[in-house]
Amino acid sequence: MMRDEYLSVFIDETREAIQNMNDILLKLEQDMEDMEAINELFRILHTLKGMAGTMEFNTMMTLCHRMENVLDEIRNGRMKLTEDIIDRLFKGADILEQMLNSIEEGESDELEGVDVDALIKEFEDMLEGKPVESSKEEKEESKEEASSEENEEESEEEAPIPIEITDELVHVIKEAKERGYEAYYVRVTLDEGTQLKAARMYLVFHKIEDLGGEILRTVPPVEDIEDEKFDLDVDLIVVAKQSAEELSSAIGSVTEVARVIVKPFDPEKELEKKKKEEEKKKEEAKKKEDTKKAEAHVHHKDDKKKKKITQTVRVDIEKLDTLMNLMGELVIARSRIVETLKKYNIKEVDESLAQLSRITLDLQNIVMKIRMVPIAYVFNRFPRMVRDLAKQMNKEVDFIIKGEDTELDRTFVEEIGDPLLHLLRNAIDHGIEPKEERIAKGKPPKGTIILSARHEGNNVVIEIIDDGRGIDRDKVIKKAVERGLIDEAKAMMLPDDKVFELIFLPGFSTKDEVTEVSGRGVGMDVVKNVVESLNGSVSIESQKDKGTKVTIRLPLTLAIIQALLVKVKDFVYAIPIATIDSTLKITKEDIQVVQDQEVVVIRKEVVPIIKLWEALGIPHDEEPQSMNVVIIKMGNRKYGIVVDTLIGQDDIVIKSLGKLFSDVREFSGGAVLGDGSIALILDVANLMM
Amino acid sequence: MEIGEKEAVQEFEVLSFVVGDQEMAFDVDYVEIVIDIADITPVPKSKPMIKGIINLRGRIVPIIDLADVLGSYVDESQYESIVVIKYNDIEAGFMVGTVKGVLRASTNELESISSLERYGEKSRGLIKKGSRLVVYLDVTKIIDEIAGEE
Repeated sequence: MMRDEYLSVFIDETREAIQNMNDILLKLEQDMEDMEAINELFRILHTLKGMAGTMEFNTMMTLCHRMENVLDEIRNGRMKLTEDIIDRLFKGADILEQMLNSIEEGESDELEGVDVDALIKEFEDMLEGKPVESSKEEKEESKEEASSEENEEESEEEAPIPIEITDELVHVIKEAKERGYEAYYVRVTLDEGTQLKAARMYLVFHKIEDLGGEILRTVPPVEDIEDEKFDLDVDLIVVAKQSAEELSSAIGSVTEVARVIVKPFDPEKELEKKKKEEEKKKEEAKKKEDTKKAEAHVHHKDDKKKKKITQTVRVDIEKLDTLMNLMGELVIARSRIVETLKKYNIKEVDESLAQLSRITLDLQNIVMKIRMVPIAYVFNRFPRMVRDLAKQMNKEVDFIIKGEDTELDRTFVEEIGDPLLHLLRNAIDHGIEPKEERIAKGKPPKGTIILSARHEGNNVVIEIIDDGRGIDRDKVIKKAVERGLIDEAKAMMLPDDKVFELIFLPGFSTKDEVTEVSGRGVGMDVVKNVVESLNGSVSIESQKDKGTKVTIRLPLTLAIIQALLVKVKDFVYAIPIATIDSTLKITKEDIQVVQDQEVVVIRKEVVPIIKLWEALGIPHDEEPQSMNVVIIKMGNRKYGIVVDTLIGQDDIVIKSLGKLFSDVREFSGGAVLGDGSIALILDVANLMM
Repeated sequence: MEIGEKEAVQEFEVLSFVVGDQEMAFDVDYVEIVIDIADITPVPKSKPMIKGIINLRGRIVPIIDLADVLGSYVDESQYESIVVIKYNDIEAGFMVGTVKGVLRASTNELESISSLERYGEKSRGLIKKGSRLVVYLDVTKIIDEIAGEE
């Protein structure tokens, strides 16, 4: 029940993943050599497998795992992608979707009427190198179809004799047979809309008894029939001297009887058959039940859906971006109107202008809020997952979350979930040692994993810290050399942090066994890819037997930010307020030189400074006597940026400079100011380097 | 028939303008708008042929010195207009002199001339229209070249 909380997240993410799978498969169909697509597909399945695993959808997990295995073989060149395999992968994606639908409807991932096991088996066969020819498959399919048709017939006439065969019944039939009677299974179906159903059935019973037959058993029981507690069908076990045909025509003569089925009934054979088809029957019974349930739930489900819709609406992030851009333009347009009208000083306009300003501000705040979400949105689903994973792997873990109300852009929240999950899994699987090992090492028996988030200047910093065994440098090198990722002599020379970076290479894993949970090290590959695609960075620190710390840094690239506008010569630059510690005025004499670096001493702290005109190569006159310094804080370090004048604080809309400026690292973008001019936004971190 | 037609004359439209003393032209399909030269905000540390950026209706558009791209020099005071093009999601403005207007030309008026070799792939040939000689530039190649340079 607890997992309900995560269920909607799981459903959303899985749906997206399946959509991506389909897209990639379509791409692969065009170009089967597309390794990037294969890798991507592999990653998606890996993630999906992990998610399904944590949510305890085991069938789904197994299917993903098999599909993943096949892709692994392909990307390692041990198998070739064929149309046949793509077809099966498509089929797999379809089944995953069906499972998801079933899960969404509150059922499990077990699908009725879909042979998941067969597909899983097909993938397994593929892996074992058994040729799964399409012709054979077709045959199998047609056979399956045929047999299922048979089944249907049976289900109507034979197979599901819904009568419990008791020893007593067997005994009675045996005795009757000795007296020359034949045993029959009879199904009587009344016309639809029959009035007085009980009376009709009474006539049927009467007819049988008139013929000298004896009714041994009825389903439903006689009492229920008398109370009309049945639909249109009644099943009977009858012993009679007549042939099946005679019996059938006799019963059929009763008015309003739509159909009569009479079949010889051999309780022993029936028992055998029953045993044989026990499994099948169970399934069928369940199927029937489920259909009934499904029917019964139709109304119910609709209610549920309605409820959900009113709670949240999923919006395409692109639409949000467009909204944000429009918002930005609105802000600029407003500023320009205000600027222009200032010249004329028209009183009547002032009031409506003030209102326009208020509305714009409100709108801006709301749009901002839509995009900003506390990271708790991602973090909240982890405690349970960590607990389950730890349990699964027989580890004891204390999981601590810090700074979950740190807000960050929605885009990041949606993207960062999977990488974090991979890292947590790694921490549990590879990091935290089993209890005994920890005790032997003199560590507390319970491991600790800390997941924290905080704002640091212009960045959001997310850390995952465990007190596990740490990363074994030698093991990493050994594995990397084995995998041909690096040359041994070269690896030995590398400093620790460079060695740890090897872990991020595709296809790397230090764990010898492949587990369902953390797999083959694709996780780290995924982590790096995602973080870098968000313009962030990821780094690892680790000490043997002390633990591992993985740090993810994401930039705060929000569309609208507060910035301090500064001037150098005639050019205006914007410095994000979030990075600023303070501003101050200095004189030429305050600047000292330490190791070729200009510094100023502020409250006994030595702060290196750069002159913005020098950093940007802007021709500038001799240094003025007094200068403005903007003190930037990055982590624990402070830097000063010297500028000509400080203009003031403003909300600015970040716009990308575009591809033609991809080589310029000093600026993170540009902003159009109220007067229509442009201010370049300084990328402080890059500027300092 | 069809092949015959293709081999025969094809007409196309270009926007012609003057850069230095030379008349040049872009394919009109890529031209978005022509504006008067505006205040350009320089972007320090960017590529030398990129003169800076302008605010075009709230969008930031890089401005390119066309003469610089073509390996010649034109004094900035001679530039009068900016031809804004859009290609491959990249919007960019080229500083040019006088804009002459749209010119309809046909393939039989287009010649490849060895004197254009210094433009390399950036030129598709020379349009001969009576006494007018117009260098027909390939916008896509020019943008690709600038974007590709690191």
